[in-house]
Amino acid sequence: MIRDRLYHDLTNRGITGWIVAALLVWFYIALYFTESLTPWAQKVGLSSKWDLYGVLYTVVILVGGIAMIRKYGHNRYQVVRTGVVMFVQVVFAFSIPMMLKALHQPEYYLSYFWPLKFDYMNPEYLFAQPWPFVVYTLAASLVIVPLLGALIGKRWYCSWVCGCGGLANTMGEPWRHLSDKSSAAWKFEKVSIYSVFGISLLLTGLLFYSWFTKSKAPEVVQFQTWYGLIVGSILSGAVGTGLYPLGGTRVWCRFFCPMAALLGITQKAGKRFHIRVKEDMCISCGLCSKYCEMGIDVRAYAQRNESFTRASCVGCGICSEVCPRGVLRLENQSGLVQISGGR
Amino acid sequence: MHLVIVGNGVAGVTAAMDARAADPRAQITLISGESEYFFSRTALMYAYMDVMQRRDLEPYERKVFREQRLTLLRDWVVDLDAGTRELRLAGGATVSYDKLLLATGSRGRRAPWERDLEGVVRFVSLQDLDACERLTPGTRRAVVAGGGLIGVELVECLMHHRVPVTFLVREPSYWPAALSVEEGDLVAAHIRAQGVDLRLGTEVKSMEGDGRVTGVTTTAGETIACQMVGVTIGVEPNVEWLRTVKTPPELNRGVVTDQAFRTSLPDVFAAGDVAEVEGRIEPLWYAAKRQGEAVARAMMGEPVEYAPPTYYNSAKFFHLEWTCAGETKGPGRFRKLPGREASVRVIERDGLAVGFSMLGTRWNHRVLVKWVEERRRVDEVMGRLSEAQYDVEFGKVAL
Repeated sequence: MIRDRLYHDLTNRGITGWIVAALLVWFYIALYFTESLTPWAQKVGLSSKWDLYGVLYTVVILVGGIAMIRKYGHNRYQVVRTGVVMFVQVVFAFSIPMMLKALHQPEYYLSYFWPLKFDYMNPEYLFAQPWPFVVYTLAASLVIVPLLGALIGKRWYCSWVCGCGGLANTMGEPWRHLSDKSSAAWKFEKVSIYSVFGISLLLTGLLFYSWFTKSKAPEVVQFQTWYGLIVGSILSGAVGTGLYPLGGTRVWCRFFCPMAALLGITQKAGKRFHIRVKEDMCISCGLCSKYCEMGIDVRAYAQRNESFTRASCVGCGICSEVCPRGVLRLENQSGLVQISGGR
Repeated sequence: MHLVIVGNGVAGVTAAMDARAADPRAQITLISGESEYFFSRTALMYAYMDVMQRRDLEPYERKVFREQRLTLLRDWVVDLDAGTRELRLAGGATVSYDKLLLATGSRGRRAPWERDLEGVVRFVSLQDLDACERLTPGTRRAVVAGGGLIGVELVECLMHHRVPVTFLVREPSYWPAALSVEEGDLVAAHIRAQGVDLRLGTEVKSMEGDGRVTGVTTTAGETIACQMVGVTIGVEPNVEWLRTVKTPPELNRGVVTDQAFRTSLPDVFAAGDVAEVEGRIEPLWYAAKRQGEAVARAMMGEPVEYAPPTYYNSAKFFHLEWTCAGETKGPGRFRKLPGREASVRVIERDGLAVGFSMLGTRWNHRVLVKWVEERRRVDEVMGRLSEAQYDVEFGKVAL
């Protein structure tokens, strides 16, 4: 009983939830703005605080991923998806960069792309890299990311590959239901996420302009610094992860991530990925909405028999998993096939 | 026009919203003693299990009721006078109506052996949920009597709170109302595998204790000590309150209506679980919603001839999902799926598939219903079953 109450408190914005949030925010502030974690890294034989962060991040995703697979082992989509998340983290987001570093090469994170990894499309940086990386980055950011988004939805990235999404869908699982489902939050989301996306486009444009004209105005340098500080450190780190126990696991992904904005646009425009709603079977219980980490009121669609695509949907598949009547299914398909179809 | 709706469940609220869409100027009032805002009764178990909070049970944001200009009254209706077209509320107020909809739903049936002891619960209303939550901490064992869908939900909730449960089911196999013996065995095995002390073919004979319940004695003669007793032997139309009003509508098992949901009283309609439409009661969420839509049209003066469509339903027994379409009883072809807790059963008559009962995997009931309506042959549908599967990606089950 005490265990249940503690868990309730931790996962429903109780005092323990607030304490954990405070600790997480404190951790991110220490990580980004101080060197206080450096001695800890050195104590365990790592060269920098970032290596320590990488190790912690990977361990947490593995532990959370195993818990996730145990919980949803009966659901193949969840098992496969979580397996891929763990694999990508271990290989692309941890082992390869660490190996490159050990070989005194630049640390490339091949599972991160512009506009999430903003620097990768900064021409000053990009064109100083070896050509395979240049080709990889340009092809990935400009072709593969939007193309896959249009074909199979943003989920291929946001809930299968991305490290931020990976953390949310593993360690963050106990807090996923805390996302704000109100229509007001949806309105805010539409303004905030496309604003950040617009700003990231503008800054990228300015950087290219500066590069072509070979003159970088001090305002652009300042803009770049502020973008890195606010978007890169505060919003994606301290707010995005620190607020798991208060705002749910996808605060960054839903409200701020420019990559999610881009993918959301291609997901909508592609008209293929959707959540199909089985007609007249919804009992309005609301588990789908409650456990949507993106704060989508899935029930609102399900109870009016409306198959749908939302730009924010990361295709984690939990709405479909928790639905007690099997109403929801994730699909990639051009045009919504009439549900009473058969063939 | 003042449209008054008694009951803010899914039938009443659906009717209110559709009536508003049809008539932007009508005054619409919803009266409920149970809750101020519409909530999903189907999600009571998730609130009890603490996977949802109370507010999460509400299918609409509260502002929707303001935007739709639906007046909500939290009170119990105690009298109905069809002559003066007035309702009297427990709080003393009177409400006059031009058209009245009775949508008071179902209530849990009372068992013949039942006594009014502390610890005896049903699991239908918000007040039932309150009682369950209050009683759970002091309960070392619970007995749940009645093996229907509400019964198994209540058992799941109690087990979730680590309360050991003895689950008494009158029938010798589990839920024979819809499941075959083989399916009943599968479900019973699944329920037992969760640690539930499931006893088939056993009923309660009497309750022990005074003040708080201390146990029940079964028809097998055994006394089981317990501090909570769940009575889940089915639901019945919630009509008792109408028997004592000044002008009761004609009542049978439910409020008797014609195909346009008209009761015996002028401008008084009934829909949802409480309505007995041409002799038939449909105590299902989707049926109540469908009736709410239809009764809204009827109250707006449109001609309505309601007839229930081909039956379908779904349920979940702990982790075991079930879908049915068409008929569920009678001879047919049953196949247990290899290596998993799952089965398919096609009910057969004269070589035609007249119904489906699918356990343990996901199905699109629309395809199954269509096959029943199109009178497809069993041999044909058995070969095409995979077209109706609705499993998650990567998870399509081999039949």
